[in-house]
Amino acid sequence: MERLTSGTGGRPAGLPTVVPMEDESAAVVARNLGKRYGGTVAVDDVSLRVETGEILGILGANGAGKTTTVEMIAGLRRPDRGHVRVLGLDPRRERAKVRQVLGIQLQQASLHHALTVRELIEMFAAFYPDPRPAGELLEFVGLTSQRATRFEKLSGGQQQRLSIALALIGRPRVAILDELTTGLDPRARRQVWAMIERLRDEEVTVILVSHAMEEVERLCHRVALLDGGRLTALDTPAGLVARAGAGNLDEAFVALSGKEPEEPA
Amino acid sequence: MSSAIVARSPGPCAWLTLIRCEAKMVVRDTAGLVVPIGLPLLILVMNAAAAGEQVVVNGRTALDVHVLPLVFTVVPATIGVVNMPSFVAYYRRAGILRRLSVTPASPVMVLIAQAVVSLIQTLIGIGAAFAVALLVFDANLPVRPAAAIGAALLATAAMYATGMIVAATAPTPNAAVAIGLVAFFALGALGGLFGGREALPEPLAVLGERLPFGATVECVQAAWAGSAIDPVHLVSLAATIVLGGVISAVFFRWD
Ligand SMILES: Nc1ncnc2c1ncn2[C@@H]1O[C@H](COP(=O)(O)OP(=O)(O)OP(=O)(O)O)[C@@H](O)[C@H]1O
Ligand SMILES: [Mg+2]
Repeated sequence: MERLTSGTGGRPAGLPTVVPMEDESAAVVARNLGKRYGGTVAVDDVSLRVETGEILGILGANGAGKTTTVEMIAGLRRPDRGHVRVLGLDPRRERAKVRQVLGIQLQQASLHHALTVRELIEMFAAFYPDPRPAGELLEFVGLTSQRATRFEKLSGGQQQRLSIALALIGRPRVAILDELTTGLDPRARRQVWAMIERLRDEEVTVILVSHAMEEVERLCHRVALLDGGRLTALDTPAGLVARAGAGNLDEAFVALSGKEPEEPA
Repeated sequence: MSSAIVARSPGPCAWLTLIRCEAKMVVRDTAGLVVPIGLPLLILVMNAAAAGEQVVVNGRTALDVHVLPLVFTVVPATIGVVNMPSFVAYYRRAGILRRLSVTPASPVMVLIAQAVVSLIQTLIGIGAAFAVALLVFDANLPVRPAAAIGAALLATAAMYATGMIVAATAPTPNAAVAIGLVAFFALGALGGLFGGREALPEPLAVLGERLPFGATVECVQAAWAGSAIDPVHLVSLAATIVLGGVISAVFFRWD
């Protein structure tokens, strides 16, 4: 298993690579992504490749650059440096096409406060050619009995569940879920995991940002660890634990983050 | 793999759904619903008796040429300058425009749906005031109905353009309401909302006549009285539309 994709072709990370982006087999390719806000380097030379049907977890401390990275992949933020391809498409220049196949749950997004769960689902369903049925989605995220409740009256966790449902409503081929289960109770968390497992069976490519090690261990094929905007490790959950010489992923996370970025292998 | 993916923009069904959703948002916002329909009625009722029955021009009474234009102008002005920008600022602040930009729907669709609902609300507001004026206060129809309709449409667009400047520049939803209200009362005061412009100092009266509120009142008044519309007022409204479009296009932020 490769540990860092940034060193493709033996080049050191950080140098612009000339490897063509149009890699037909990978669902998502991000190469040498960089983004700064004023004096803050939010993302520094991050390269990732996510295979079709793969579930990639992104871990990292608060402010590590996870949201900035995934929102650059989604075309929501413009990278200062680097390139992104989603199913071979540029998410900014071929926006309209990418929107058909990409579903995203944003870490921070509210919805029309006075509309009910059912009305919001109807609204988003209308945007897609073949939306998932509302009943199935509601059951999926456990909001069936809240379907007539206005968004503003939902609890934080219920709003989060609706947001996940809306990310998946258009049957995306690539789903980006930023802080998937943050704020969910244990039962809801398990429901959402079951849903992700179903996506895995459907060969949907998923990038999920998480702070929950148990979740990452259970769902993800590979884990990318971000630290201070840099990609410091990219491995299977088990590989990461072994690398850190830790007993579990929690310990590995602590061991591998919050220190100087290591040199790529 | 990418060749199979087609960019497919949402069809009429998506438009209808969005318009329906915006309509629900507007209806469920009680204050925003009541003011543009209640305020004109209030102005009508308070001024109708004082306006008297005597004919001033072309068989039209003081009610027709002085009160009705004001009443009709208040409707698109409150909706366009106060209500619409507060919705847009809220959608931006809540991240709704950003969220929609990652769906096949463009956030522009929400703005257009909001405009459509505002137009319907304007029609209802004007219709309600007009019905009360006709049935209760014996108002008359305009001498030049086509000019009245044309003026109303142009005025609605101008109020909307003014509102888009507010929506584009207001940093928060609260600021949008504050700026919108101040703009509404400033335009209104200079345009005759609190009594004729004759009471204002000359330069302010001239300015007020060229700003969208005063220009609208003048156009509707001319249409009702059957006199020619002064091109200055049409130019004022057209210029507001162009200026509002350009300023909001330059300053508008989606997040
Ligand atoms: N729009 C912005 N303007 C200025 N700075 C920003 C902006 N977005 C992110 N940053 C900065 O970039 C860094 C990375 O932020 P990001 O939101 O990507 O972190 P994160 O890993 O998602 O954190 P969290 O776990 O708290 O969600 C932070 O230092 C943050 O302050
Ligand atoms: Mg984040």
